Amino acid sequence: MAWKTQAIVLRVRNLGEADRIVTLYTEQLGKLNAVARGARRIRNRLLSPTQLFTHGRYMIFPGKGLHNLSQAEIINSGQGLRDDLEKMAYASYVTELLDALTAEEDPTTRIFPLLAGTLSLGNAGRFPLAVRAYEIRLMSELGYQPELYNCLNCREKLMNDLYFTQEGGVVCAQCNSHYRDTVKLTNGTWELMKRLLEWDLSRITVLHPSDADLKELRGLMRNYIDFRLEYPLKSLGFLEMLQNIPPLEVKND
Amino acid sequence: MSRYPKPMARLIEELTRLPGIGPKTAQRLSFFLIGLPRSDVHSIAEAIVEAKERTRLCSQCFHLTEEDPCPICSDPKRDHTFLCVVEQPRDVIALERTRSFNGIYHVLHGAISPLEGVGPEELKIKELVARLGPDVKEVLLATDPNVEGEATAMYLARLLKPIGVRVTRMAHGMPVGSDLEYVDEVTLSKALEGRREL
Repeated sequence: MAWKTQAIVLRVRNLGEADRIVTLYTEQLGKLNAVARGARRIRNRLLSPTQLFTHGRYMIFPGKGLHNLSQAEIINSGQGLRDDLEKMAYASYVTELLDALTAEEDPTTRIFPLLAGTLSLGNAGRFPLAVRAYEIRLMSELGYQPELYNCLNCREKLMNDLYFTQEGGVVCAQCNSHYRDTVKLTNGTWELMKRLLEWDLSRITVLHPSDADLKELRGLMRNYIDFRLEYPLKSLGFLEMLQNIPPLEVKND
Repeated sequence: MSRYPKPMARLIEELTRLPGIGPKTAQRLSFFLIGLPRSDVHSIAEAIVEAKERTRLCSQCFHLTEEDPCPICSDPKRDHTFLCVVEQPRDVIALERTRSFNGIYHVLHGAISPLEGVGPEELKIKELVARLGPDVKEVLLATDPNVEGEATAMYLARLLKPIGVRVTRMAHGMPVGSDLEYVDEVTLSKALEGRREL
């Protein structure tokens, strides 16, 4: 019995002479690995649906070890994400983070729309904001939602003079001394976090946070995620390196 | 314990190190080699050792060569103002087979891959920038049309354009001899973008 499901390509590895192992995040089955036979041959039908960031409909035959990818149809090729170095770097981070934090065939139904929505917002030019929303929502879906309303320690309603700890969210000034690793949280970033977590993903496009708030949030989320990751993400180094080269002003003629 | 004589077991083990060779194929190959005349076996063994010992990288383009600089870099008839950047030495061989390119090459020995942690510093990019004197007029980026190849091309374009050299990219299009209806939508849209007047 074949599985037919929508999925997004998280990772592609070469196998043998002409095959590929594709890591897909599927709508119903969570993350899974499948072999796409012959997918590196120029006229193979699986060549283009097995490119990174492709959103498609896939038909997969379950196997004992690896599954077999037999047919695919592209819904969104993800070409826009691959044609721009920044977008590609952000999208790589988005897919690598999901790959690192999820187990195989462990379905969490709300992650697929989050992934698809994030990539689509990014394609429309809303990286890095979309990535920050993705981080906080993904962590929440996986059971690590940061506490943003009541102090993590004394449970008092949070007002201002706030601190953020990688151990689980926001603490008040009085409880700050109970934690070793807290950083000061500005009210702008606190508000931004709440909106990114609660608002409908398509609505966050109306937000235009300052660079300072985005930078602060990036640092907080990095610590928060690193605390739960078992290994450092490779795509982050690339993203940082890109920031040191000036963007290309003119497209290739 | 091995059912094979010791030297043969070692041969099988060594052969399984080759790409695409499993234990079964290694056993078949070793039976074949044992069955060959002594002179043929010597010739194969010598060829392997000689290829390894006498092949090195050209100090200019980093293609595989016996003499340094390689015959392409030292050929005065080639256009030294036109430089083609490729990922692997086998790409040079493929392009040379076309006989359509008369410039010189630069082999990067890989492609940028954020997900595999391969950054620009792992490739021969510094060496490429160092080669770009006032003589080089055009750099053709002929990296693979996949995610890693495109990322490498975009990175290089960003790096090289400010130097003032003309940067071009290989065209994307339909494979010769294919049927339009079976060409995937990404390739087709690239082919439409890159259409040209007849």
